[in-house]
Amino acid sequence: MGGAVSYAAAAAVKPSQTEGKEEKHSKDVDSVDWLNLPCPVKYEEIQRENIMSLKPELFEGLRFDFTKPLNQRFSLSHSLFMGSVEVPSQGAQIIKVPAAHYEFGANLIDQRMTMLIGRILTDGRMSARVKYDVTDRFSIKVNAQITNEPHFSQGMFHFDYRGGDYQAQLQLGNNAFYGFNYIQSVTPTLALGGEVFWLGQQRKSGIGFAGRYNTDKAIATAQIASTSILSLTYVQRVSDKVSLASDFLYNWNTKETTTTVGYDYLLRQCRLRGRLDTNGCVAAFLEERLNLGVNFLLSAEIDHWKKDYKFGFGMTVGE
Amino acid sequence: MAAVDRSGEKGGGWGKGLADSSLYQKARRAASNSARFSQKLMWSTGKAAWIAGTTFLVLVVPLIIEMDREQQMVDLESQQAGLLGSSAPLPSK
Repeated sequence: MGGAVSYAAAAAVKPSQTEGKEEKHSKDVDSVDWLNLPCPVKYEEIQRENIMSLKPELFEGLRFDFTKPLNQRFSLSHSLFMGSVEVPSQGAQIIKVPAAHYEFGANLIDQRMTMLIGRILTDGRMSARVKYDVTDRFSIKVNAQITNEPHFSQGMFHFDYRGGDYQAQLQLGNNAFYGFNYIQSVTPTLALGGEVFWLGQQRKSGIGFAGRYNTDKAIATAQIASTSILSLTYVQRVSDKVSLASDFLYNWNTKETTTTVGYDYLLRQCRLRGRLDTNGCVAAFLEERLNLGVNFLLSAEIDHWKKDYKFGFGMTVGE
Repeated sequence: MAAVDRSGEKGGGWGKGLADSSLYQKARRAASNSARFSQKLMWSTGKAAWIAGTTFLVLVVPLIIEMDREQQMVDLESQQAGLLGSSAPLPSK
């Protein structure tokens, strides 16, 4: 479903990158209404454009998704995957195990943006997502995943509150996970936020800060966290069809840096995303629209350093 | 020292003397070094060509194909728009 959603979501996101900007003449500082700043995006979606452009869902093997709407609000989804899955191994050797699974899902989307999504896989995993808007400003999200293996099941509750120019979120999860994040619009283009979390089972806590600067043409974000990660991203919308994105990740504990640059072409018949990495990795993802509701997917990932090659093809039928 | 003593012994002594001179040895070492260096250069050029070729094939070729198709569609649409515009004033029956 992620692949099918991305093509539609891209068309929805790109024109609305300037959402919430009430004033078009942003050069005129005197006309800034400091009491009426736009509402920022949620803290977890700060890097949304960058993730959509630079991190498509690459896969290896065959992928087939079919979504059948039974109703205006209810739809069923069938999804098949056959291919190789990488098994994490100690040494430099890459171990791939062939795997295949079928996933059945049901989606209920109400017009009040109540959303219920359930999925079950043939390897015994079941997942559910619920999103419910209690009022215009307060919404609740629940994610749950149940697996056959013990101690691998997880569930998480999110309570979001959207104020005039701020958003706050409280997260409660199993394994005694508590998190809180908050983001506030400081100027019409800049939003700053922070988060804290506490993981009870491993007695870990963390704090992080993030900032997002967006204009009509560019979005820049910076994120720093006490899990020793610094992340800077930049997305530039060169035209309404093309955007270029880049990403810098620095881990000061392990002293590793990774820079990624990529392009995202949103044409009428296709969406093509390509990226190049400093880890010697090259990847491309193509979604081609063959017919109304029929998308053809091609995914390629070449890792020159580890000599790992992954190619996949697939089809997505239905919206 | 022994090489100088035996240099004039037989007819084949001339080759042996030449073989033991330090200039010939230096030339042989230089030739093998340059052979190894040029082999390494060809090997790394080959590797670079492989990496550049596969990266170009994955990143650039789909882009060229898609942009070409987009251009064809734009041309087709502009041609159709021109055709519609020119066929508008048809006599009605």
